[in-house]
Amino acid sequence: MTMVEFDVSPRARDYTQSTLKGLIPDESELTAGCLIEPGKSYGFFTDTTVCIGCKACEVACKEWNNLPADEVGLTGHSYDNTGALSSNTWRHVAFVEKKQADRAAAETGYGVRENEQAAFQSGWLMMSDVCKHCHHAPCMEACPTGALFKTEFDTVVVQQDICNGCGYCVPACPFGVVDVSTTDGKAHKCTLCYDRLKGGLEPACAKSCPTDSIQFGELSDLHARAKVRVEELHARGVTTAYTYGAPGDPGSTGDMQYLNAFFLLTDRPEAYNLPAAPTRPSNRVKPALAAGLMAVAALALGAVAAFAGAPRHGQ
Amino acid sequence: MDNDVRPRRWTESIADGHGSGFDKKEIRPYVETTSQASQPSKWKGPTYYGRSQLKAAPFNNYVVGGYIFLAGLSGGGAIVSTLAEAVRGERAYGVGRRGRYVATLAPTIGALLLIWDLHTPQRFYNMWRIAKGTSPMSIGTWILTAFIPSSMLGAGAQVLADVLPGAGWLKPVARWGSAPSAITGAGLSVYTASLLAATSTPYWAAAPRSLAVRFGASSLVSGSASLVIGERDPATRDALNLILGGALAVELAATIAHHHEVKKKGVAEVLKTRWGRIERFGVEGLGILLPIGLHAASHLVSDRKGKAALSDLAAIFALAGSATLRVAALAVGEESARRPDISFRFSQPENLPG
Amino acid sequence: MPEMEGVVTIVQEGRFQLTDTGGVSHHFVLGRHALCETEQLPKLAHEQSRVRVKYAQAKGIIAFEAKRITLLDAT
Repeated sequence: MTMVEFDVSPRARDYTQSTLKGLIPDESELTAGCLIEPGKSYGFFTDTTVCIGCKACEVACKEWNNLPADEVGLTGHSYDNTGALSSNTWRHVAFVEKKQADRAAAETGYGVRENEQAAFQSGWLMMSDVCKHCHHAPCMEACPTGALFKTEFDTVVVQQDICNGCGYCVPACPFGVVDVSTTDGKAHKCTLCYDRLKGGLEPACAKSCPTDSIQFGELSDLHARAKVRVEELHARGVTTAYTYGAPGDPGSTGDMQYLNAFFLLTDRPEAYNLPAAPTRPSNRVKPALAAGLMAVAALALGAVAAFAGAPRHGQ
Repeated sequence: MDNDVRPRRWTESIADGHGSGFDKKEIRPYVETTSQASQPSKWKGPTYYGRSQLKAAPFNNYVVGGYIFLAGLSGGGAIVSTLAEAVRGERAYGVGRRGRYVATLAPTIGALLLIWDLHTPQRFYNMWRIAKGTSPMSIGTWILTAFIPSSMLGAGAQVLADVLPGAGWLKPVARWGSAPSAITGAGLSVYTASLLAATSTPYWAAAPRSLAVRFGASSLVSGSASLVIGERDPATRDALNLILGGALAVELAATIAHHHEVKKKGVAEVLKTRWGRIERFGVEGLGILLPIGLHAASHLVSDRKGKAALSDLAAIFALAGSATLRVAALAVGEESARRPDISFRFSQPENLPG
Repeated sequence: MPEMEGVVTIVQEGRFQLTDTGGVSHHFVLGRHALCETEQLPKLAHEQSRVRVKYAQAKGIIAFEAKRITLLDAT
């Protein structure tokens, strides 16, 4: 029998015992193949073609971050009873049951399965959605208190001791990620496991992902991996594969530049509840202010003329 | 976009204008139907179980809309009354006096409304932690902060001048003290529009410039309307009515331009909702066209008392219209964020700037 | 208002677990009007101080909203 050579860190051999005395220093080197160092850019590459919809990421996120469960209920939307990202849900697995897609949906309502399935994934799409940790994060640019900030790992985090719950980050987000909790009155979203990164640990969702659909790493490295993966999928006949959120992609439009958490998709972004062409909201500050002030200035000049033109003495 | 009717791949439209990393030949994720290429009024493609990708702002529209109205009223009132006193001097003292009182509404009730709407109100002071140009809410915090000293100094001196006998010497203090609030008042009148425009909410983001002109004009409408009521000097009253009429005309033009642009961006569907109708008929009809009509009618009336009554009525409708505009604009925007047929239509590549 | 005594075990931002005297853990979110800031919670967990928490059922989530936290034995 020949040994299969796995791509693992040689340091893994140092920790063969089943119970450990403490944290493994720089554990991410073993689990994600990268060292976590301040000053570098980190993110997620979520390859939806290998997602099996197990929701381990959702559970790991809830467990690590001590997030309460949203009220339990059935949505009737395939296996997705989570619904959407919220202040208590920072990973959300979307389940898209491919119908005779758009034509059937428009004509007969949905629920009609394809009679002939594509060879790939049997007409199922799953995607683990998460905060995109945008390069130009609209939530952070909108935050009036500085509670939202860029960490030393190039991720975006809400500082709970500063946030005053103004809620302006919520409409600012082009992806509907940030949410204000009505219980504690603060904004919440994925922190990309800021506390774990500081301790040299890979984020909980990525570590728990059994198919490596969620990959954590240095952004440049992830971009290279995604490119190779897209090429590989195209070569294997999945010509619909493309990346969403890498530089120049959909999702990185309108001066967004790139998203630190980006995705490999095989259908239109809308099918996964993603906007095809988001824009950077802060670019609209100046045009609005300038146009408004000009209008007010013009009307003020008119007011001067009106007052000057009025007769000075009684009638 | 061209009139090309062949099926377009959806990524092409991005690749045409903005693609740095796209390879059109390799990527074929989806074949766009001809109906989408010809820009329908709303999104007809796939959605994720009818959900929008956006979240609506968690604002209380009456509270925040109330603040935006008061900010415009105070700002507009400060501008018009300061100019009246600067140009007409002592004859416009009454206008200046009322303007100084109107200008206290934003720093007092307005600021309380803002704090009320925070989800953690006891931390309101964190707004002063930083100043940043990418956040109109931060810009607005500092504009309001700058507005407070002069408006409160002016109003404080005015109260003393009104109440204390022999305090006539305080009149110039009130007048000169309140003058700087005309400058900060301009910012207070329009920053709220850039606050809404700098979001991802379709109705707010669709047309930043015309929305800001609407808000700016509406601020001067409410400012001058509040000063018309109770003005005894006929010449000053006529001048104020002229300003009010001009501001209403600018607001009307901006409203038409705004709705046109909103339609071009595929967001007009939201104007068919309940708040959309309020925005169109309540604001445009009762808040703009009716006051303009009342002004026109007042020219036909020869009786001075009748004239004044009509112009007072016009001013009241104009004030109500300005308040309704702010609440309705918030509500319509939030509805546009909740509707996937609007939110996805808005986030299509053809709406990208440039 | 119902109350519960125990020890704060796990803390993440404003969310914590309170292990009651019977050894059962309960999930709490610090309410917005609680006279306690998020940065005080890790200290409570670290010192394993016994606390009394006044709470209410939080809306829309499976957790309690902590309204008031009282330190029982000063350490």
